Amino acid sequence: MAEVILKNIKKVYPNTEAKKHRKDGGEKLADLQITDEGVLAVQDFNLEIADKEFVVLVGPSGCGKSTTLRMVAGLEEISGGELYMGGRLMNDVAPKDRDIAMVFQNYALYPHMTVYENMAFSLKLKKTPKDEMDRKVREAAEILDITQYLDRKPKALSGGQRQRVAIGRAIVRNPQVFLMDEPLSNLDAKLRNQMRAELIKLRTRINTTFLYVTHDQTEAMTLGDRIVIMKGGVIQQIGTPQEVFDHPINLFVAGFIGSPQMNFFDGKLIQTNGVWQAETAGAVIPLGQKTQAALNAAGVAPMAVSIGIRPEHIQLETQAGAHTVAAQVDVSEMMGSEIHLHVSAEGKDVVVRVPTLELSEKWPNGLHRGDSFYFSFRHDLVHLFDTQNEETLL
Amino acid sequence: MKKRRSAPENPVLRRQRRLRSAVMIFLCILSLLPFYLMFINATRTSNDVKSSISFLFGSHLMENIATFTQKQKGVGITAWGSMGNSLLVAVPYTALSVYFSALTAYGLYAYNFKAKKFAWGFILAVMMVPTQVFAVGFYKFMLHLGLIDTFLPLILPAITTPAVVFFMRQYLAATLPLDILEAARIDGSGEFHTFNTIVLPMMKPALATQAIFQFVASWNNLFLPSLIISSSGKKTLPMFVQMLMGESFRTDYGVVFLALSITILPMFVMYFILSRYIVEGVTLGGVKE
Amino acid sequence: MKTTKPEKLKSVRYSKYGYWFILPFFIVYTVFSLWPLISTFYYSLFAYTTRNLKETITFTGLGNYLKLLGLADGEKAYFLKYLGNTLRIWVFNFIPQIALSLLAAAWLTDSRVRLRGKGAYKVLIYMPNIITAASISLLFYAFLSQYGPLMSVLRNAGLISQNSNIMSSTWETSLAISFILLWMWYGNTTLLLISGMMGINASLYEAADLDGASTWQKFTRITLPLLKPILVYVLVTSAIGGLQLYDIPALFNASGYIGLPDDTSTTVTMYIMRLHSTDTGRAAAVSIMLFLITVLISLFLFRAMRQSESGRRRKKAEGGGQS
Repeated sequence: MAEVILKNIKKVYPNTEAKKHRKDGGEKLADLQITDEGVLAVQDFNLEIADKEFVVLVGPSGCGKSTTLRMVAGLEEISGGELYMGGRLMNDVAPKDRDIAMVFQNYALYPHMTVYENMAFSLKLKKTPKDEMDRKVREAAEILDITQYLDRKPKALSGGQRQRVAIGRAIVRNPQVFLMDEPLSNLDAKLRNQMRAELIKLRTRINTTFLYVTHDQTEAMTLGDRIVIMKGGVIQQIGTPQEVFDHPINLFVAGFIGSPQMNFFDGKLIQTNGVWQAETAGAVIPLGQKTQAALNAAGVAPMAVSIGIRPEHIQLETQAGAHTVAAQVDVSEMMGSEIHLHVSAEGKDVVVRVPTLELSEKWPNGLHRGDSFYFSFRHDLVHLFDTQNEETLL
Repeated sequence: MKKRRSAPENPVLRRQRRLRSAVMIFLCILSLLPFYLMFINATRTSNDVKSSISFLFGSHLMENIATFTQKQKGVGITAWGSMGNSLLVAVPYTALSVYFSALTAYGLYAYNFKAKKFAWGFILAVMMVPTQVFAVGFYKFMLHLGLIDTFLPLILPAITTPAVVFFMRQYLAATLPLDILEAARIDGSGEFHTFNTIVLPMMKPALATQAIFQFVASWNNLFLPSLIISSSGKKTLPMFVQMLMGESFRTDYGVVFLALSITILPMFVMYFILSRYIVEGVTLGGVKE
Repeated sequence: MKTTKPEKLKSVRYSKYGYWFILPFFIVYTVFSLWPLISTFYYSLFAYTTRNLKETITFTGLGNYLKLLGLADGEKAYFLKYLGNTLRIWVFNFIPQIALSLLAAAWLTDSRVRLRGKGAYKVLIYMPNIITAASISLLFYAFLSQYGPLMSVLRNAGLISQNSNIMSSTWETSLAISFILLWMWYGNTTLLLISGMMGINASLYEAADLDGASTWQKFTRITLPLLKPILVYVLVTSAIGGLQLYDIPALFNASGYIGLPDDTSTTVTMYIMRLHSTDTGRAAAVSIMLFLITVLISLFLFRAMRQSESGRRRKKAEGGGQS
């Protein structure tokens, strides 16, 4: 069984004299809590990964995702909490005995060895018999389509090929848990899309537990069975891609997941005759049934809120109304089958995604810079966040 | 060198170029001339050498060699013998120096431990201390250990050559990504095993360059062997050269130049074979300053 | 299923391996360098006198040092004399060497006046550095000695008098040794300066050209200041090397461990060699004095490097853009 359980995992970098007074490191350190012990790179990390599940850790730079991965790998010491793999406590176990394999962002291939030797290295150390070793290496090479490179050295390979060799090196070990640390970050956009698709295919052939780290939310959404979003060393939300997309637990997650980013408005939550409404930018937004029920269940009082609405959930209106917001077009990006409008409304920048056909129906001449129009919010897809703690009210 | 199809050269620049080239050529001749004359004089008789300078080879090479071979018998060691001794010292010295410096540099680069800053600072500090400062104590110590007149005191200290450690560490910092070490750990390689099978092969250029410089340093060293070695049979090459100042040699100039030619020849030849790497090594050493 | 128990480490910490890797160095250093250094200091506190083949060792505290500095009665300050010799030889080597190396380096890195065969020049001027200093010293001595080839030719041509002898003149011997040093080392210095100059951003010179700077101005206002770290390094290593001067003066116009003529080309290290088995105490004291001077020079290096760093930082803060 290869389930991985992280219980109250914590990572502290103890204070050195220099770090105590240091202000540089900018945003990286700003998010992290600094206690008397030191910098808390990861805190209160609790996660249960089921056998053969593909879990993605995602978040901005410095959020602690790589640190967590490295603790699972045994490359970093666990400052607090427990790590179980396959039911056994792994805190003190050396990496080579954890039955894991890891793919690094910079591939970490041994430059003076051929591809074959790179892949066979771990087997050689375990004193695997030669024919078995050969079989395993060639099997893995075939899966990844790199058989023709077996005799080459890494410097003779392209980035994508090197990445495959790195994956091959990991496959050969036949691990219980597959760790990947931003493996696609060094590839150019086109290659990245390609490799992403290949990873998804790979998963059908290698059925093990995956723990994958990335800063790219698209990768997280497409690859993961479940996503763990982190910020400042703390888990923000755990859920399936759909869950996280539809029901972000706080402002950060709402803004992090989804591209283009969700639009946020400052507004008020008011109750008129028992019916909840949101007020912002001169518009009164009626809220849908489910939202009403959720608000009632949560027992909230009228308050200041942050209102979130995704660009694709904004509707264009030709006429004003009580529930519409006036806007002026800044930039119109023709994306093909849809158009991204960057507009200003009441001094705020808002992004709207609209299918090209729909827009040309309402505005046969199209919408260009300087044009005015109105938009409304699809009232069952509005997100409401408490301005104090930034959590969702729903 | 291909001629570039660029604009015709400005006459002022051309004049400057010619002047500078002339000076540089003069300097090069200056570097070579003493050696050239030395080889020439090795083939002439002592009187000829004393009375004139010749640029052409003489005909007394064989006589000089015969005289030299004879005179060597009187001093207890031959030129070749002393070269053998120098080799006996220089080769292990080079191996120890390069290997242990790489080892130490790796320890300081790949690991974070409390004493690291102190250790590195210590190495930087002692890099500049001249040998003479330890000489007396070293001599007495070796005397007590009964190691005087053996080669061991000339070889063992090779383990501690701070300047090489410094160079190796800079090299590692520039070329060794730490994630390779982590991949090796996950693959199951022990730390020392990783150093020998993965890191050392990656350091080949640095190892080669430093090996050359350390070999040269050991081969050319006069001071330390003079302190430790006393019996003629064990004298190293520079010590042999010193003996050429003695009465039996200095009267015959032809023989003196012949002897010098023999002692200089190995390094001379080695240099021109390895010159590219040596010059590269010096230039590399400067960049990091 | 695993048949072997997984390796249990107290904590999966790799930092302790660092200690193991550096251990050989520090052990050997302590034994072969640190201990000798301490014992050298210890020996320097004793006076060794031999009367009738019997050696007596008496504790004299700082007595040896006083004798060296000529502060004790009846003792000539040999140390100071030899230090002076060493310094004299070094200065007359270093100053021309630095000037020549700067010139050669500038020429070899000049992008406007391109010399052909630069590689060959570099190889040839560095070459003397590799050859055994002892051999070189004897070689020059043989050439320049009174009845040697060079002097004979000059005498026959009537350019010098019948009696002239480099070896009997203090200044001529010193200058000859200085010249040998220069000849051996200027290639090395030139190569170091070349690598320094190549690190200077070419566009600085182009900007200066647009500002109308002359070649000399460019050299003094751009090249030299930016070369300062390397120049300091060269100065310090040359000085420390100069303090250790042994091979060449020991074989050029020397007898026993006395630098002729008249003990005027004896260096400090020759002095140590002369005394190490007869008057160990004094030899030790000389070594320690050498050590102190080395420390002073290294401290100077440290300060100078620090200053140039902070100076650069200050300039960056004030001036903004320059690389």
